[in-house]
Amino acid sequence: MKTTNGLARIILFTAPIIIVSVIFLSIAYGAKGITLATIWEAFTAYNEEDVNHAIIMTSRLPRVLSALLVGAFLAISGAIMQGMTRNYLASPSIMGVTDGSAFVITICMVFMPELPSISMILFSMLGSAIGAGIVYGFGSLIKGGLSPVRLAIIGTVIGTFLSSMSAAIASYFQVSQNVSFWYNAKLHQADPDVFLMALPFGLVGLILAIIVANGITILSLGEEVSVTLGQRTRMVKVLSMLSVICLTGTAVALVGKIGFVGLIVPHITRFLVGVDYKVLIPCAGIIGGVFLALCDILSRFVNAPFETPIGVITSLIGVPFFLYLIRTRGGGRHA
Amino acid sequence: MHKEGKKTVITMLVLTVLILISMYISLTYGVFELTIRDVFRTIFRIETNADFELVIFDFRLPRIVIAALVGLGLGIAGAVIQGITRNGLADSGILGINAGAGAAIVIFMFFFQDQVQGSGWLSVMIMPIFGLIGGLIASLFIFFFSWKNGTFDTGRLILTGIAIGSGFGALSMYISLKMKASDFEMATVWVSGSIYNANWIYIASMLPWLLILIPIIYKKAYLLDLFQLEDISTKSLGIAVEKEKSILLLASIGLVSACVSVSGSIGFIGLMAPHIARQLVGINHRHVLPVCGAIGMLLVVVSDFIAKNVFAPAELPVGIVISILGVPYFLFLLVKSRA
Repeated sequence: MKTTNGLARIILFTAPIIIVSVIFLSIAYGAKGITLATIWEAFTAYNEEDVNHAIIMTSRLPRVLSALLVGAFLAISGAIMQGMTRNYLASPSIMGVTDGSAFVITICMVFMPELPSISMILFSMLGSAIGAGIVYGFGSLIKGGLSPVRLAIIGTVIGTFLSSMSAAIASYFQVSQNVSFWYNAKLHQADPDVFLMALPFGLVGLILAIIVANGITILSLGEEVSVTLGQRTRMVKVLSMLSVICLTGTAVALVGKIGFVGLIVPHITRFLVGVDYKVLIPCAGIIGGVFLALCDILSRFVNAPFETPIGVITSLIGVPFFLYLIRTRGGGRHA
Repeated sequence: MHKEGKKTVITMLVLTVLILISMYISLTYGVFELTIRDVFRTIFRIETNADFELVIFDFRLPRIVIAALVGLGLGIAGAVIQGITRNGLADSGILGINAGAGAAIVIFMFFFQDQVQGSGWLSVMIMPIFGLIGGLIASLFIFFFSWKNGTFDTGRLILTGIAIGSGFGALSMYISLKMKASDFEMATVWVSGSIYNANWIYIASMLPWLLILIPIIYKKAYLLDLFQLEDISTKSLGIAVEKEKSILLLASIGLVSACVSVSGSIGFIGLMAPHIARQLVGINHRHVLPVCGAIGMLLVVVSDFIAKNVFAPAELPVGIVISILGVPYFLFLLVKSRA
């Protein structure tokens, strides 16, 4: 236990350095190379006339910040979901949460095209709640439906359904193009304004996550244990769900659907720092953010000079990991 | 046995009538209205009208024929896959075989399209072979990952399939992004399961596969009944279980690949058709297989009609229509299987 906490301390203390260097890396590499000196200048003495400075401030910086935040949000929601449901496969993309959010956004774009970004974020959260609600609803309807494997199957199938419905609605009202904009990870078009607007919602989710962290640690030992220890189980569950909805909703509103981050990062983090969610949640956030930012950098290189959708990169890394999890854990019931 | 046979004949008759009706509606209804008289006169060359000929022979008929053939192939392949895995939720789409075949075909389009350009025929004809290779690789992966302690765990099989499917999906997407813009358009439309650019060459490329593989499968249909027993009992009947299973599986992957190479990934047909067929005619595969094929045909023809006309003039990929219909059915099966 001591050693793992030591590792956690290392992660938490080196985080600022790692994050800053990832930010610099991400700004420096791309279709147009930018030197470190220019980046420094852009921060210290911003010059509107300079093209490089403009690129940094309006495109590269929002992009890397979005990647860091979205990665952190998804990883934390994944960690919360896995702890709460004691299901090692739980994660926003597998459980239909992101598809639900994209579905509601599609409906909004069709019926209320003039909606300001801030309501979009709210609707995106509503969608996450609906997606999660349907999946868990079915899970509890079916006997044994909450076991890891069954829940994952239900989540995937409902996700397929929701995204097919969105595709159908979008093509009926001929807004496919705008909608595919939301669907497909659009990290490279991260909008600074939307980013600032989404921030508070994400922060609410983060604070909630940290508040319930202890509760989740206990809950992850099993519902009976949690009740015997005098924990208000329902309260913890409601707060955790709220946190997941805030975090995932914001993430989808910011950049669209990105899979697998919420699945793999919590596992890696748990392996590194153990199962105390008070430590695990912040560490998962850091690792998730850095992971997604690195994937984003990679996505510019794989097929240069063209960008590869970041979802492709995360799937290429995530699928083998997913297979490994299924292989080693099987259908057993353990978080 | 005799009674069962009678039931099958009646079911087949009803299905045939339904298929013909839906084909007829699909043929006459659309942006360009045709009467039944026009259709007959054109098909039987009684009276030739260039407009009618174009609409019927170049636009509508190939599409309907492809829809029917794809439905036939996927339906039968679905029954075989469910029979072999003894898993009512198995389906080539869910198991990722479609995605594997799809990825292989996208790779083929990317690397070889230019080299075989002049001979459009040839390239279309060898596409199913590439599909087959991709489908085989996908199924090897699935078997490798879900086979543990000498058994297939139902849940693990399907989850592995989902993982393999999304992996190959990402691969196709990556490759298709490297293509030229025009090819990319074609690849994306095709991957999401669409038959709107149907023509007679595609039909010619898939037909031989169906003609060869379906009789082979049908001949071995009785084996599928035996596979429902424990492997050890089947073996004691003197049947080379592993060998026969491999042959049947290969044949069904071949069918799926031929379908996927023409229509892209269409899921859920192989899931729905066998269940409906078993409800109608019982569990004897000699009866189930043909009914399955007919139901698959009906489903795809009707879905294609919906995809084509409900949202006209916009058109949906038929794969999307089928998954909207198929998912509720899948969930229904899941609920029922546990009740």
